[in-house]
Amino acid sequence: MSRTLQSGYHRPRMLRHVGRFSPVRIQSMHYQSGRHIRLLLQPGRSLYDALVEPLREIGVTSASTTILGGYFEHLEYCVAPPDPSGNAVIAYSKPIDAGASFMVFGNATLGKDMEGRPLVHCHASVRVEDGSVKGGHIVPQASIIGATPLSVLVTALEGFELRQAFDDETNIPLLKPFKES
Amino acid sequence: MSTAETTQVVTTRVVTTESGRMGRVAYARIAPNEDLVQGVEKMCLAEGFRNAFVRGGLGSLVDASLGCRDGSYQQISGPAVEVVSIAGEVRSGADGVPVASLAGIVADTDGNVYGGPFLAGWNPVCMTFEVTLEEWIPEDEELA
Repeated sequence: MSRTLQSGYHRPRMLRHVGRFSPVRIQSMHYQSGRHIRLLLQPGRSLYDALVEPLREIGVTSASTTILGGYFEHLEYCVAPPDPSGNAVIAYSKPIDAGASFMVFGNATLGKDMEGRPLVHCHASVRVEDGSVKGGHIVPQASIIGATPLSVLVTALEGFELRQAFDDETNIPLLKPFKES
Repeated sequence: MSTAETTQVVTTRVVTTESGRMGRVAYARIAPNEDLVQGVEKMCLAEGFRNAFVRGGLGSLVDASLGCRDGSYQQISGPAVEVVSIAGEVRSGADGVPVASLAGIVADTDGNVYGGPFLAGWNPVCMTFEVTLEEWIPEDEELA
């Protein structure tokens, strides 16, 4: 839902989260330079496999990526409504089947999950099979690259790594930067 | 031509190109209720970046506020509103204060999309926001 408002003071809304407030509001790390890679996501593979495996082969396990436009044979995405269980303030919906789709633009972060396996967190805008444009959290394991490879600009993160860790404040696991283990 | 008719020509140099190079790369996780735009600016303060380009970013907002040409703004209600595309840069003036200009596409809880510039101070993060910045070092600043 959207509405257009005239300029003026409208207080932005905050939310009270389930867990204890963390005093650290911005967790950042840097490295002296970035390593850039052009990656082609291969037809018929899942977004997850097409991103993770070629990068793992060249030693990249933490990265920020820009996915340029391209067709998906099949794509699934989630939206993020309030969590009715109260476990967290929001929860991802069940996957929505977008069918054969065109990804207009996407960003994906590559890191490690809590078990040390590769994790892909991807948000994108997508023209879905019925022709409408939608956006959300892409399900990388269930989204299959179409007949033409998709170009991706990868900024590999070096000197630190991205790992999923349980976040007390929001009560969900989230990607955060850590010194390399 | 009389003195009264003399026209003073003032030459103003308009800078349309800036040579430079990329420097450091930083990644941050911005916590809930922090503003997206000011969060990116604070990240630059924390990392000592004067100028930077957004290399990637994704996350969620409580509600999104996108500026319109006539000074009004479009509010997209969440929670959560997901940021599905983002581009932008950060520039610092003579006072050294970083100012982020960010624009993007957001999706509401039905997946409907909206786009525009993110208004500073009016885009509180919902669960998390991940952002990667690449430092931009203008040639002029490096020579100074």
